[in-house]
Amino acid sequence: MKLDFAKMFLGVSALSLMASAAVAQEKTLTINSFGGAYEEAHRACIITPFEQETGAKVEIVTAYSADAFAQVRAQKDAPQFDIIHFSGGQEIVAANEGLLAPIDAAKVPNLANVYDFAKANVAKGEGPAYSIAAIGMIYNTEKAPSAPTQWTDIMDPAFAEHLVLTDISNGYGMLGFLMINQVNGGTLENIQPGLDAVTKLLEAGAIIVSKSPEIQQEFAQNDAWLAPYASDYGYTLRKAGLPAGFVQGEEGTPASLITVNMVANRPNEDLALKFIDISVSPEAQQCFADALRYSPTNSKAELSAEVAADVAYGEDGVKGLLRFDPIAIEANRAAWVEAWNKTIAR
Amino acid sequence: MTDRLENMALVMPGLLLLGLAFILPVLQMLVLSVSGPDGFTLEHFTRFLSDSYYLGILWRTVRLSALITLITALIGFPLAYIMAKSGPRLRLWLTLIVILPLMTSVVIRTFGWIVLLGRSGMIPSMLRDLGLVGRSFSIIQTESAIVIGMVQVLLPFMTLSVLGVVMSIDGRLEEAARTMGCSFMKTIRTVVLPLSLPGIVAGGLLVFTLSASSFVTPSLLGGSRIQVLAGSIYNAVTQTLEWEFAAAQAVILFVGVALVLVPYLSVTGRRNG
Amino acid sequence: MVSGTPIWARYFAVIFIVCTALFLLAPLFVVMGVSVSESQFISFPPQGFTLHWYEKVLSSDAYVNAAWTSLWIALTVTIAASLIGGAAAIALNRRSLPASGLMSAALLSPLVLPTIIYAIGMLLLWSAIFGPISPLALAIGHTVIALPYVVRTCLAVLADTDPFLEEAARTMGAGRLQRLAFVVLPQIKPGLLAGGFFAFNISFDEAVLSLFLRKPGLTTLPVQIYGQLEFSPDPSVAAVSTMMIGLTIVLLIIIDRTLGLGKIASV
Repeated sequence: MKLDFAKMFLGVSALSLMASAAVAQEKTLTINSFGGAYEEAHRACIITPFEQETGAKVEIVTAYSADAFAQVRAQKDAPQFDIIHFSGGQEIVAANEGLLAPIDAAKVPNLANVYDFAKANVAKGEGPAYSIAAIGMIYNTEKAPSAPTQWTDIMDPAFAEHLVLTDISNGYGMLGFLMINQVNGGTLENIQPGLDAVTKLLEAGAIIVSKSPEIQQEFAQNDAWLAPYASDYGYTLRKAGLPAGFVQGEEGTPASLITVNMVANRPNEDLALKFIDISVSPEAQQCFADALRYSPTNSKAELSAEVAADVAYGEDGVKGLLRFDPIAIEANRAAWVEAWNKTIAR
Repeated sequence: MTDRLENMALVMPGLLLLGLAFILPVLQMLVLSVSGPDGFTLEHFTRFLSDSYYLGILWRTVRLSALITLITALIGFPLAYIMAKSGPRLRLWLTLIVILPLMTSVVIRTFGWIVLLGRSGMIPSMLRDLGLVGRSFSIIQTESAIVIGMVQVLLPFMTLSVLGVVMSIDGRLEEAARTMGCSFMKTIRTVVLPLSLPGIVAGGLLVFTLSASSFVTPSLLGGSRIQVLAGSIYNAVTQTLEWEFAAAQAVILFVGVALVLVPYLSVTGRRNG
Repeated sequence: MVSGTPIWARYFAVIFIVCTALFLLAPLFVVMGVSVSESQFISFPPQGFTLHWYEKVLSSDAYVNAAWTSLWIALTVTIAASLIGGAAAIALNRRSLPASGLMSAALLSPLVLPTIIYAIGMLLLWSAIFGPISPLALAIGHTVIALPYVVRTCLAVLADTDPFLEEAARTMGAGRLQRLAFVVLPQIKPGLLAGGFFAFNISFDEAVLSLFLRKPGLTTLPVQIYGQLEFSPDPSVAAVSTMMIGLTIVLLIIIDRTLGLGKIASV
């Protein structure tokens, strides 16, 4: 009798141990985020609401898209991420290589209200875009001789030594370059006009940085007046007390989509889908736009007039966005980066 | 148990660790350098070796590494000699000063240089105020910046390497040379320098290899317009996602370093007898 | 000897030392200056004076946890690399093994390869065999790249020792373990100390392997600093570095008081 009791006790505790282990395992979702202010907003707008709603715990690894992609690819056999966020189009390659799981739109109710272009290939594994960074021009409102209005203003000799370009290894840098290429007569089939323009700009004294914080450094310390870059970063500079304005060029505003993707071969599919659902919900997107001035992808998101002025908002606002064919970008990325490197090399 | 067995037992853990945790994973990467969509290929190597842009990167890497090695030796040898000849207190402080940069995170250290050498940094503006350079003068994003930053990082390796040898030189040798009429400089040249050569060679080896394979300092100080091989490898891994090409470049770096080091070692080795 | 040094050489020595010290320390002074700046950017010369950034670092879980992670891994690596590298150096120094030259070269090879290639290879292999990353993977990786330094310092130290001492111990009847413990160990000790010192540093400062072999809860201090600089640079990174510099000075002085710093100078 005593023995039985002990057995029972052991059995029960073993069971409960297993159960709690299983629960603990199921209830953790591993994701990447982009650090700093972005991660703070990410937490406030998406992660905390998700944790409250599901009771699951979210673990964050701070990693930019490029590093995160390298990790996901190398860990193909035993992925540690459930959800991976990309801002540079890596989802196209990742989905192609089978690293991402297809998303069943029926299980993500909020997808219904997301603009079509932001969810075109979810069935192939390319996760939906949950926010859009608009690429335009950040300028120094105090020192710039005049506010730029169109992309061709970048070529204005008045900016020469005060122009900051971004390396195309950076996603925003790539879109800015493609726009410079386009206004100089280039196309996605021919980027030579863009490269020639960059050569001219460099000869005139422009400098090239490769990371966002360097742009801040240039504006704060080194007398930068103009930098083609994203709206959210212009807002970051302004919040940091710098005289930075943001304008969208008249020729069009390239859009950089930030996507939320489900990693293949992970056991937490339902939780991951729930996370994606919250990411594309109107509430989360309003919150993101308020905090960082990203444009929403959910047509039901409602923004205040002040915020709306800074972003591409509503059906019409989004129509003004320009999307360089992401598949063409992915197909050409390596060749373009090489050509770019050769152009800028000293 | 024989002596041989004892030696095998001693060296085995190291070889096992190296084989399983270094050579195996690295081989796996290096196999990529000869793999293409249809099996074996040398296209990644021909791509590199037939392109003047990449050959330029390789040449810059070797050239800068050699320059950095030379400068660290030029500073490191006198520094080590002075340290060896100074009293224990001063030597403690000098050792501290030499080792401190080594102990500061590379990112931070490099960042200090960015502040000092940047366009509106202290040194360029000082030179500008003195009227020595033009308005747009900058050190950052030039090869000089890479050399300055790398010398600071690698000087400890050279200095400590030479110091160990110089400390073990018998002081009476120098005295003998002096009493026999050698000048101070001649004593250094004919007695101290040849005797410290093993330290300089060992330090030079370390400095050359480390500068050829380092990436953080060159990429931060040189910027994206001045690429070195390690930076190019990093870009191929994380940005253009061409791991095969990255692996091929790593093989080329490896072979390049070996090609420089083998003659260097055999020449210096012969001179040491 | 000093009596024979010409006066110009002494002046040269003083000027040379001052210039070298300035060169080596200038960036560190910049970092210290930035760490007390009131500006929320990393800017120099510093504006005003505040200890706010130190407070921010010390009250940040991310930094404190990262520091502990780094410390644990670095200690593990120091012990493992010293044991493995020291043993290998003893055997290689005796030159009785076949291909010992090749083995020495192999043991030094991790120095040549850019860490990123190793990092990706390690991540691929570990994921394929063991699955999820663990701190052990990172410790093993760091041990591999720290190993060459230990082997080098130990070989350098052993090269200067008297090989006949061991022979003498043998003729006097000392067993293998006794010889290792009482003859070879004291001989190699300075090399082990110096090698261990480097191993600790290399692990503590390594960023590339740590960047790729990371997972939630396994973030080392350099990765934390790198992330902070990359994503939202503010003077807190300078504050961390200043604390690390201070810690280094203390550590070096302790080593000097207990063992003599000269021991490290034998790389």
